[in-house]
Amino acid sequence: MIWEILRMAVNSLTVNKMRSFLSMLGIIIGVGAVIAIVSVGSGAQMQVTSQISQLGSNLITISPGIRRGSSGRISMTSTDLFTMELADQLQQNCPSLARIMPNLQTSGLLIAGTNNYQTTVVGVTPVYQQIYDFYPARGQFITEEHEAGATNVLVLGSGLATELFPETDPVGQKVKLFVRNRHLLFVVVGVMEEKGSGAWGNIENQAFIPASVLMKKINNRKYVSGYTAQAASAADAKAAVGEVQYFLTRYLGDPSQFRVTSQEQLLETISQVTGTLSLMLGGIAGISLLVGGIGIMNIMLVSVTERTREIGIRKALGAKRRHILTQFIIESLAMSGFGGLIGIGFGWLGAAGVAKIGGWPLVVTHTSVLLAFSFALLVGLFFGIYPARKASKLDPVIALSYE
Amino acid sequence: MLIQVINLQRTYQMGSVKVEALKDASFQIKEGEFVAIIGPSGSGKSTLMHILGCLDQPTAGSFLMEGQDISAVSENELAEIRNKKIGFVFQQFNLLPKATILQNVSVPLIYGGIRGRRRQLELAEKALQQVGLGDRLHHRPTEISGGQKQRVAIARALINNPALVLADEPTGNLDTKTGKEIMDIFRQLNKEGHTIIMVTHDQEIAEQARRVIQIRDGLIQKDEVIA
Repeated sequence: MIWEILRMAVNSLTVNKMRSFLSMLGIIIGVGAVIAIVSVGSGAQMQVTSQISQLGSNLITISPGIRRGSSGRISMTSTDLFTMELADQLQQNCPSLARIMPNLQTSGLLIAGTNNYQTTVVGVTPVYQQIYDFYPARGQFITEEHEAGATNVLVLGSGLATELFPETDPVGQKVKLFVRNRHLLFVVVGVMEEKGSGAWGNIENQAFIPASVLMKKINNRKYVSGYTAQAASAADAKAAVGEVQYFLTRYLGDPSQFRVTSQEQLLETISQVTGTLSLMLGGIAGISLLVGGIGIMNIMLVSVTERTREIGIRKALGAKRRHILTQFIIESLAMSGFGGLIGIGFGWLGAAGVAKIGGWPLVVTHTSVLLAFSFALLVGLFFGIYPARKASKLDPVIALSYE
Repeated sequence: MLIQVINLQRTYQMGSVKVEALKDASFQIKEGEFVAIIGPSGSGKSTLMHILGCLDQPTAGSFLMEGQDISAVSENELAEIRNKKIGFVFQQFNLLPKATILQNVSVPLIYGGIRGRRRQLELAEKALQQVGLGDRLHHRPTEISGGQKQRVAIARALINNPALVLADEPTGNLDTKTGKEIMDIFRQLNKEGHTIIMVTHDQEIAEQARRVIQIRDGLIQKDEVIA
């Protein structure tokens, strides 16, 4: 009998196709939006995560702590803390650190013949290559000798190389660096490989010089803004964070003066943030499911009124309350369920479109589909109950005489 | 005794006014009878029919069907009695407009718990063949004439083999000739043993029954057997 009632319900929906579709629209949009948003969220998260891992693995960032401004003083970061010597000491005292390098950069204008380019100049030591898994494609990288002797040599990012030397091989050429109102002459010793694009695309347009040159000849300061270190493995990274914290706390005396962040922590934070964000957006989309439910209830109430006479006839022919109740609830469920199915299709299409534009993988999880669909059914059930009860309680005599 | 009506009363509360649709009605109907209940509009004949059809329950008095007191049964039991024991034929035909006539005739079988859709449709088809509509099974009510609609309604009324066929002005929406055809069907059904109660305001139609109960102002005025 349940099949009979189901068939009747589907029949009555197909009789008024346009109306049924319009009533389903809220559910369609709701389910579609939930699925698309959750999918876009996880796709974007995957992309960000993979981009961060692309930068190198098991990285630990050591940066100055933030001093909170109080009683009128401006909040500032402590800058005069980190020296090259401290980096060496960290390397010696923290066995889990495989390598460490200073974070040091400035901005300057590079001039080669008639071409020039304003860019970021990064002060590096040779370990930069291993830490960021980033190697020269031509020539060589900054060597220990360059670093020790503070030699004016420069390695160009691949993008920068084509900007400055569109026709010639840059290796061996001279470039001028204009920074802080001074000109410095450099010899290009290498060109980096292409690392592929992404949010970090500007890495292709950076120039690299020995850290010692940047500190002694440009900044005239012995301090660096922080360190990037690399642990030998993911397991070592956890230990390394502890070792660095322990050592720096003893060395600097105050743990609030520095921060140690591992890449893992960063990834965790990012996935937390994007997770919360997509949950929130999904929740907002879920509200449109509720609104869709109200739309269904509205049309079901109209339908009950329109079909008062039909209900009377059915009751005269022996339909009990539960038969009428089931019939109308199934109609409402069929509407929300069918709307949900269409919504899944639209959501998937939308997610695929955005993923294509954003260039990340299309991730539609079973969980989000199932969740959105069952929520749609639940909404259909909930908002179907009231109209169905109203229908089932009609007095057959009154219903039969309804015009 | 199929039907026993004893001091039946039905009062409606219309706002602050009490309307006594049925004041005091008593009669009995045996199996195999063909009874016309006749009266002008407002006489209480519709109310009486609703009670006889188990669509409504009396305010006072009792209505016994096959010995069972209908005044005291639950809504679900009423629905079951309507389904199993009563076949309705209405003036307005009251077919489901969006279903085919075959589907229409099968509706009482669905609620009667006859299992199997194919079995239901077979029974419905047989019933339609008996009223001469075997070639119209998949038409919708809007596609057939009034007389044909009333035949569909008769097929539907008979499908569960009820103890009683209740007809409410069955010829009211038909022309004279078609009306006569429908009355012929009813007489034929009665000959075959069906108990028929017909409510009408038309003296001429009423006289085609074998017994006429006249009702006026909620009271039985006359109850006579026609030769």
